[in-house]
Amino acid sequence: MLKHRARLMGQINGILMFLPYLILLITFAIIPIVLAISVSFETSLTNPNGGFGNYLFVLQDFRFLPAVLNVSLFLALYLPAMLIVVAGLSLLLDTIQAKYSVPLRLAYLVPAGITGTVAILVWYFMLEPSYSPFAALFAEVGWTEGNDLFNTSNLVWIFALMTFFTGAGNWIVIQYGSLQSIPDELLEAARIDGANVWQVAFRIKLPLIRKYLVYMLILVMAAGLQIFVEPYLISSSVYPGIAKDWSLNQLAYTFAFLGSNLGAATALSLMLLIVMIILALFVIFRTDFFDEAKGKIKEAR
Amino acid sequence: MTVAASTVAPTRHRRKLTVSEISGKTAAWIVMILFALFSVIPMSWLILAPSKNQVELQSEAPMSFGSFQGYIDAWNNLMVFQDGRLLTWLWNSIWYTGIQVVVASAVALLAGYALAATRMPFRKSLLITTLIAMIVPQVAFVFPLFIEITTLGIYDTAWAIILPGTFFPFGVFLAYIYFSTTIPPELYDAARIDGSGDWGVFWRVALPLSKGLIGMLAFFSFQVNWINFFLPYIVVTSGDVLTLPVGLGILFSSTPALNPQVGANVLPIRGPEIALAGLLVAIPILLVFLASARLLVRGVLAGSVKS
Repeated sequence: MLKHRARLMGQINGILMFLPYLILLITFAIIPIVLAISVSFETSLTNPNGGFGNYLFVLQDFRFLPAVLNVSLFLALYLPAMLIVVAGLSLLLDTIQAKYSVPLRLAYLVPAGITGTVAILVWYFMLEPSYSPFAALFAEVGWTEGNDLFNTSNLVWIFALMTFFTGAGNWIVIQYGSLQSIPDELLEAARIDGANVWQVAFRIKLPLIRKYLVYMLILVMAAGLQIFVEPYLISSSVYPGIAKDWSLNQLAYTFAFLGSNLGAATALSLMLLIVMIILALFVIFRTDFFDEAKGKIKEAR
Repeated sequence: MTVAASTVAPTRHRRKLTVSEISGKTAAWIVMILFALFSVIPMSWLILAPSKNQVELQSEAPMSFGSFQGYIDAWNNLMVFQDGRLLTWLWNSIWYTGIQVVVASAVALLAGYALAATRMPFRKSLLITTLIAMIVPQVAFVFPLFIEITTLGIYDTAWAIILPGTFFPFGVFLAYIYFSTTIPPELYDAARIDGSGDWGVFWRVALPLSKGLIGMLAFFSFQVNWINFFLPYIVVTSGDVLTLPVGLGILFSSTPALNPQVGANVLPIRGPEIALAGLLVAIPILLVFLASARLLVRGVLAGSVKS
């Protein structure tokens, strides 16, 4: 009887503690999605019959496919660059003594400050030959004018560069942290078996941090699919119109605020959201990344 | 996460190096140092830029220092823009982010503890929901949130920016992992046997042991909210409610700094001024990152997986 009462009190207290977050979860994740779904299906001037009209409208828009291609190409450059550089440099860092790597790690964290709006600002100056510290380097390749770099065919490289530099450094430090937690006995055993530094790195360390790298890729991909600030601001300041409707989110923005078609904008952002949720479910159920976390709850039950 | 395993890195076995290992090591150092240089150059440029005037910015060596007077001149010129509007943006960014960090962290602490240490029902499904919300980036919710914000009638108010930023599923996950792995469950049990209720255990046992966790929660919520652009940009139009990153975007498009077509000779806002405004956004993030370097290394991820 007393035990039953304690159990009930435990449940009530748990619910009370969880409540503030639950309210935020419902208000800022679930209700917005429900509202967006209803807006996307509403009948409107552009969607006279209701239903999936808005979705078709988006898919058939002449800017949709180019935006998909732009974002895909962007991801095709950005994701492998992240994977190779983050895995490579964190493995390299892990081969030197921790105390010597401190200044390097701090240096790698510096670009984290150059993000969002500031990234556009800084990279504009970094790439504009009349300001850039790399001007001499650019001249070697024949880039002497801003237009040599800032043109439509280079845009995808520029955006990949901006986002890559913002995130790579802190992911290197984070993955280095995972590498440091590999038990020394394991590495020692491999060395005694005759493995050299490279073999230890590729055969032992890399497989052990594989799931962290997969997790990083999924997060980075989810964020990359949503790219907006970089193309939007470049296009509305430095080189007006150069990257107009370049990304999917820019297109959604155009639908909503320039075409006053909120239905199409929400349809597009819901389609993106579905892709994200599939990615999330993949990480949660098809990789072993969260097994530990999920297991904790099971065993407590 | 076992704290002991990840904080101490015992010196590894040393032996004589071969020639190929030495050249390999040298190559490794060159790669690491080059990447460090490339990491530091853009920020250094940004810090040096306001020390020069517009002419010097283009004529002098890019990494040279002008004078301290340069910063003062650039600041005075920035203040010309809409009678010091920049100060309003700065102040807005500070207090919005302040509320967001405090509320988001407190809510995440409670919810994480509830998931980890109480008998709350539906824990598994709520955890899965939180994991999904944490992987989906906030930008994905921008248009749905825009609709909700207009429906609620808080469009163009500070709350339209502040409130969505207090939803922090990643923080809940971090707190949950911390309370279920770093703090041994026996500790909660012992406190319960001593007669503490769930709240007592939370206050007297869990919280005093969570300084590292609180630091991490504050760090991550600060980082996402301080630089947020897309949502504030579309839910607020009034200049006096905007935040610094959005304001910086406005400086891009409405001053001749990055957009020579606009009011070329009217506003004294050029390269040095825009760089100084950019520094106001970048420096707090930079400082917070450098201050949290140890937290990051200690394994944000390792904490979520290892036991």
